[in-house]
Amino acid sequence: MLISIAWLSELIAVDATPSAIAAALTSRGLTVDAVTEVPGDTVLDLDVPANRPDALGHRGVAREVAAAFGRRLVAPRPGPAVSGPPLAGIDVTIEDPALCGRYTARLVRGVTVGASPTWVVARLEACGLRSINNVVDVSNLVMLELGQPVHFFDAARLTGPAIVIRGAREGERLTTLDGVERVLAPGMVVIADGSGPVALGGVMGGARTEIHSGTKDVLIEAAWFTPAAVRRTARGLGIVTDASQRFERGCDPEAPAAAQDLAALWLTELSGGRPAPGTIDRRQRSFEPARLTVRLARAATLLGYRPEARAAEEALAAIELSPGRDGDTIAVTVPSWRVDLTREADVVEEIGRALGYDKVPTALPPSAPRASASPPPPIEDAARDRLASRGFHEAIQYAMIAADEDERFVAAGAPAPVPLDNPIAAGLSVLRRSLLPGLVRTADQNVRRGTADVRLFEIGRVFLGRGPGAFPEEPLRAGFVWAGAATPPHWSAPSRPADAYDAGGIVEDVLALAPGKGPFLRERASLPALHPGQSILWRDGTGRAVAWCGALHPALAGTRAFSTPPFVGEIDLTALGPDLPGPVLARTVPNLPAASRDLSLVLDRGTRASAVVAALSRVPSPAPATFTWLDRYEGPGLAKDEVSMTLRVILQPRERTLLDAETESYRQALIAALSAVEGARLRRTEA
Amino acid sequence: MQDRLEALERAFRDALREAADVPAAVEAVRVRFLGKKGELTALLKSVGALQAALRPAAGAAINAARDRLEAALGEAAGSARSAAETASVDASMIDVSLPPRTFPHGAIHPVTATRRDLEAIFRSMGFTVEIGPEVEDDRHNFEALNIPKDHPARDATDTFYLPGGLLLRTHTSPVQIRTMEALAPPIRMICPGRVYRKDLDATHLPMFHQLEALVVDEGISLADLKGTCAAVWSRFFGASVAIRLRPGYFPFVEPGCEFDVSCRVCDGKGCRVCKGTGWIELGGAGMVHPAVFEAVGIDPERYTGFAFGLGIDRIAMMRHAVDDLRLLVEGDVRFLEQFAC
Repeated sequence: MLISIAWLSELIAVDATPSAIAAALTSRGLTVDAVTEVPGDTVLDLDVPANRPDALGHRGVAREVAAAFGRRLVAPRPGPAVSGPPLAGIDVTIEDPALCGRYTARLVRGVTVGASPTWVVARLEACGLRSINNVVDVSNLVMLELGQPVHFFDAARLTGPAIVIRGAREGERLTTLDGVERVLAPGMVVIADGSGPVALGGVMGGARTEIHSGTKDVLIEAAWFTPAAVRRTARGLGIVTDASQRFERGCDPEAPAAAQDLAALWLTELSGGRPAPGTIDRRQRSFEPARLTVRLARAATLLGYRPEARAAEEALAAIELSPGRDGDTIAVTVPSWRVDLTREADVVEEIGRALGYDKVPTALPPSAPRASASPPPPIEDAARDRLASRGFHEAIQYAMIAADEDERFVAAGAPAPVPLDNPIAAGLSVLRRSLLPGLVRTADQNVRRGTADVRLFEIGRVFLGRGPGAFPEEPLRAGFVWAGAATPPHWSAPSRPADAYDAGGIVEDVLALAPGKGPFLRERASLPALHPGQSILWRDGTGRAVAWCGALHPALAGTRAFSTPPFVGEIDLTALGPDLPGPVLARTVPNLPAASRDLSLVLDRGTRASAVVAALSRVPSPAPATFTWLDRYEGPGLAKDEVSMTLRVILQPRERTLLDAETESYRQALIAALSAVEGARLRRTEA
Repeated sequence: MQDRLEALERAFRDALREAADVPAAVEAVRVRFLGKKGELTALLKSVGALQAALRPAAGAAINAARDRLEAALGEAAGSARSAAETASVDASMIDVSLPPRTFPHGAIHPVTATRRDLEAIFRSMGFTVEIGPEVEDDRHNFEALNIPKDHPARDATDTFYLPGGLLLRTHTSPVQIRTMEALAPPIRMICPGRVYRKDLDATHLPMFHQLEALVVDEGISLADLKGTCAAVWSRFFGASVAIRLRPGYFPFVEPGCEFDVSCRVCDGKGCRVCKGTGWIELGGAGMVHPAVFEAVGIDPERYTGFAFGLGIDRIAMMRHAVDDLRLLVEGDVRFLEQFAC
């Protein structure tokens, strides 16, 4: 709301400077964002909170200034003289009282439409409006002074006999005065005459009855429309007007009479009109002033200090709440324009802001034992730290993605993505079911900007729909993308591109945070977005899929800027969590020497390394055995479909030292067991 | 004998000099003179051929000479060893100017880092951390927060709606509601999290991060709000700061206010960071509206509470001098790697 200081000074006599006025308003909760000099005036840009519609007019702002400086408002000018036959022949009916609580009308005859005088043009401009003519401008002046929107009809173009305020009918049409034909819907506020709709109540007038250069007789409408109904009408049609904003917030139900008077007065002075005697005033609601009481003890509880009784009374009197004190209690009567004051706490706030929040002392709440209702899972930040420790940078991405973007990143049979009813952009139209499409897109952008090696991760929720109106599942996931080299470039060794085993290691680094959910078993993944030959799926101890990773499918990677295939991985932290393992219970460290034997093997390419280990693990061992793959070789010296690998077996006795003969007979047993594994054999005789 | 001994000692010293500091050469000298078949050993054996009267003196002279030779050899061997070590160290000298091999350093996002720091401060003050769903219903996001349908306060939060009347939460306040539904007072909690508003321009993102605090107990007042804010922000900024409350409107608090913290850059004198005001606006606050307590079944006569909320993104930007909001969500490695630790 733009406030003209020149205008304000006609309503309240105060000799403070504009910046002093601005400071006073700001400290009372009407924040002045800017003070601007314009020719002959100073303009305050006032940020009016949604609960203070009374400050959407100069008079309301003048009331705050009066309270701040201890002055009284200048009394309004008396209404104009009336002449001619009284207002008659127009019948007003409020058909639906849920839409309109009060409707008043007044007739001014014989206006001459022309240009407005310069002071009117200047004043409107100071408040951000453009002058139209000396009739239309009056309606805006009234609104800007009183905060009460008024609407002018060309009385000659209204077809009798009645004006009806009713709900719109399905499909009903009205061309509004901006020239747009609107299709109305039930629940919208319509003002209709004998021929149909002539205005959208509280929002905008219709073109048929608008003021034009030949207008002579003006019917002034000043009404109180139900805030929710106006809001529905304006939102439904996608229009926001100065009038609708005021009605939505709640206008002063007693303002229409004053608005009529002021409009008639200015039409007389600016456009030569002659107000007719008589006025129409239909009330469908009684607006009883609210009577509230405030306990000073309660004020002390909320504010943290006990306001002095006389100071509190004076503060309330200054904003015209007519306080009456009885001991600890002050009774007030809420003026009709203060629609925001409905309960005791509201009045406490009036006292608090009038006395100033700098009076509030500093304290700390008493401590007390507290339970937690829904704490964040500790694994979330643990996974973050682990991924960052592996060289990945944390990204934060929108939860919204394009409609088909994650289609190939979810397993077959996944629920359809949850769409937004009102997306802000096509690329942000559904809730993601996977973190990966966004990470791939971001990695691609990084490569295009010249960053060759990209390691990014995100920890965030994905959304798995359970049908319209049902809360979706929101599992917490960790996702990562790895494009480019496996290690940062270094002079000591040539760089190699990251591969599926690098990516798989990252997944297992995170899975290691939840050892209790294991053992985690690897299998080939079948996610359409992943390279079918280079992807891994992990299942937890219960067989549930908890993580997957692999090379981005060539069909997807090919459309991006990557020079080598990027690798992606996603881990379901909700399935792993929420808690981290408790304290580790240490085992005794063995102090006996371990025995180690290496087996050089040749495997057919189709033979799984895990099958070899599984078979060898079943061989009875003289001490607990662990198996570790030491190397893997393919190439010259081997057949085309053969791979050479070395398996190290470590026997760690816990009770007594192993005899060489025991270790050797165990090794022979392993070699014997190997013969039962299809596609695996010893590389050379090691008898 | 004496002459032979002197000649031998001269020959020994020459040989030792020639051996320089080469350990093997020094060892060869030892073998040549003191070995089983060494020259001095031979001389000693020849003593038996002397007259009995001359034997003791000759033996003593030879033994004395052997002591001298052994001492000289020991010294030469030591110096040869240290020369060899020096040579070997010289040969394996590294270039200390070359960068060593490091593991790559990842970065925690500045918004996350800021959230964690705030969480740690609040936890140490006895607050619990609570989370809730990002997809919410109208009751938790609006109705229970004293924002009825068709209320203009809904304008402040342009909402993303989902089919069936659900929505993306526009603030973390619904977590306050859920916590008050689940727990009886006293309550002392914070709720950090992602929130969504239909807004996208230079100063707004459709997704950002809030942190709200709520304290409900008997006798809680604005003074507790002020004191808690002062304690939290003094610890966050690492210096004592002042808190200023200004009247402000939020439907779920009454009285409501905006809270500012004194600018730590200029110590409240006015600078570019605080736009000359000496104060930095941090967020909204106030006393929990009695209608909110009624909506969650807490007796507003018995209990009062304060709440405040702030944007983590803005605090992170201020803290790290980030001048463009979009950098926070673009995932640009060149931006993120600055925060590597």
